[in-house]
Amino acid sequence: MNAGDFSTILPLLLVTGWACVLLLVDLFIPRGRKAITAALSALGLLTAIALLLSQFGLEREAFKGMIVVDGFASFLQMVFLLSGLFGIALAYDYVRRQNIERGEYYTLLLFTVAGMMLMAQAGDLIVVFLALEMLSLPLYVLTGIARPRPDSEEAAMKYFLLGAFASGFVIYGVALIYGATASTRLSEIVAVVQAGQAIGGLLLAGMAFILVGLGFKVAAVPFHMWTPDVYQGAPTSVTAFMSVGAKAAGFAALLRVFLVAFPDVAPAWAVVAMWVSAFTMAWGNVAAIAQTNIKRMLAYSSIAHAGYILMALPAAADPAVASDAVGAVLFYLLAYAFTNFGAWAVVLALEKKDGQGLAIEDYAGLGARRPALALAMALFMLSLTGVPPTVGFVAKFYLFRTVLQADLVWLALVGVVTSLISAYYYMRVVVVMYMRQGEPEVRSEGWLNATVLLAGLATFIFGLLPAPLMGLAARAGLLTFLR
Amino acid sequence: MTLVQILFLLFGLVTLLASLMVVTSPKLVHAAFWLILALAGVAALFILLEATFLAVVQVVVYIGAIAILIIFAVMLTRRVMHDTGPQVNRSWWVALLVSLVLFGGLVLMLAQVPALAGTPAPLMVDQETLLEDLGRALVDADRYVLPFELASVLLMASMIGAIFVARPPSGSEERSGER
Repeated sequence: MNAGDFSTILPLLLVTGWACVLLLVDLFIPRGRKAITAALSALGLLTAIALLLSQFGLEREAFKGMIVVDGFASFLQMVFLLSGLFGIALAYDYVRRQNIERGEYYTLLLFTVAGMMLMAQAGDLIVVFLALEMLSLPLYVLTGIARPRPDSEEAAMKYFLLGAFASGFVIYGVALIYGATASTRLSEIVAVVQAGQAIGGLLLAGMAFILVGLGFKVAAVPFHMWTPDVYQGAPTSVTAFMSVGAKAAGFAALLRVFLVAFPDVAPAWAVVAMWVSAFTMAWGNVAAIAQTNIKRMLAYSSIAHAGYILMALPAAADPAVASDAVGAVLFYLLAYAFTNFGAWAVVLALEKKDGQGLAIEDYAGLGARRPALALAMALFMLSLTGVPPTVGFVAKFYLFRTVLQADLVWLALVGVVTSLISAYYYMRVVVVMYMRQGEPEVRSEGWLNATVLLAGLATFIFGLLPAPLMGLAARAGLLTFLR
Repeated sequence: MTLVQILFLLFGLVTLLASLMVVTSPKLVHAAFWLILALAGVAALFILLEATFLAVVQVVVYIGAIAILIIFAVMLTRRVMHDTGPQVNRSWWVALLVSLVLFGGLVLMLAQVPALAGTPAPLMVDQETLLEDLGRALVDADRYVLPFELASVLLMASMIGAIFVARPPSGSEERSGER
């Protein structure tokens, strides 16, 4: 051990420590001035971003391989920290007008961001599990933060029960893999497997359990049932954060564990991941058509996007395409973060008290009433569909190209066809906004508008000029142990 | 069949039956007591595996703390002592089928593990050395100090969450006063 080991987890330590201090400081902030807590938590995240930037490009192992720092981890940590900032910006006015403003909101948010950051740099299955719990537990509470509102409580209960169930799968999988390889360290697992000393049956079963558990977390079909209910019941600011952060963290774990520890058994999991991906894309997009509530529609849309991102896993099973696939996922996650936060910000602007203003019909007349907001929403919908000139198009193009490189033509075809289907429900929002008459009540709040503006600009500009960001994602590879 | 094997089967059976009763008994208090029996069965299995320290931890933490805490929680909330609804829902047979298939698959898979075929050799290491090693591993920066500390952070985060969930909605008195 040396001081260098600690420097690798410095941003993580900062966020965790800040969350603890914030909990104490919050005691001295009077009710009604909780905006100070929000500002302080944002300050913590900004400091962590600065720290992260100062050590960007670092590649090493720490704590005997329990922690791995590489481009992949740094890139994802940046995504998580940005998601945290967006999450705070969206919550800032919303929690006050919904009467759910509590100091703990921001503390718990920081804890889940810390869990996500840990997930990105976990090099040991024990750490993966701890990170998974650290990001999930605060999210369960945040989902129910609007209690005693029944839908929020119900969502929290459902999320908690199914999440705990999924965690059980993950930890059982970890135990079986330990039984098969006598190690939980990713680097040692791959060495044991390559030496042919692993017990095949246990290894396969363990992998299957981990895939199921993480499939729950990223909301892949057939483990997606909780998603629409939880996304609908949770306070919208929490949903927005959850749909980006928790999903990205789940994919961070999937990619890290499967590409680093199990590349030698790739044919086995690639087939499963391929079918799960295809079903997720198909079901997510088809079920979204029937939705009339915008939160449910975006929930199914997030399931569908989990399917798209999951396409990269079977593609990455081909060693020649692996690094391209990882880059495609990273770029897709960042693009999805910008687009999704923008879309949720518009949803927040139209939401009224007691869950009113969430039907897609409520968007009628938005084009005439608030042209800029409607334009931004149209841009986000185009980006979610994957239409140029938005970042969503570039991300999908990049992803589909890597899938084609891996010779999975039919999977790419499923992706294209389901994208076409998705155009129907995304465009319906645009049609309702511009073609229907209506007098929507829209809020205009500083941080909400800023989020929409920032997300809109990012969606548009990175759609036109994706090269710098794409280069960054492509270079942000995984640190593999045996090449 | 040796005595140890008979004991193992016996304790395994007790654990399984008690766990079944935990999920099927309609009264919450009864379920809590069955849980204690199930956890004690697991502790006995640990002893058979020569993991005496884990057995003690199992008794102290799971029975002594968690199960008793559940009983206290039931006692203090006092509202839902008795579940009046049915214990299973309509698709119970699907769940049963899936679990049986999963169980069968796991048994088949475990049967192929070579190390599990013969009688296990007795542990060669002294129990005290083992325990000392466990203690050192948890504070050694080159071994498990990081997960250990992370677990403490995780526990604190969940404690904050639990307190937040359990506390009556903050400011409810003040707000009702305003109205």
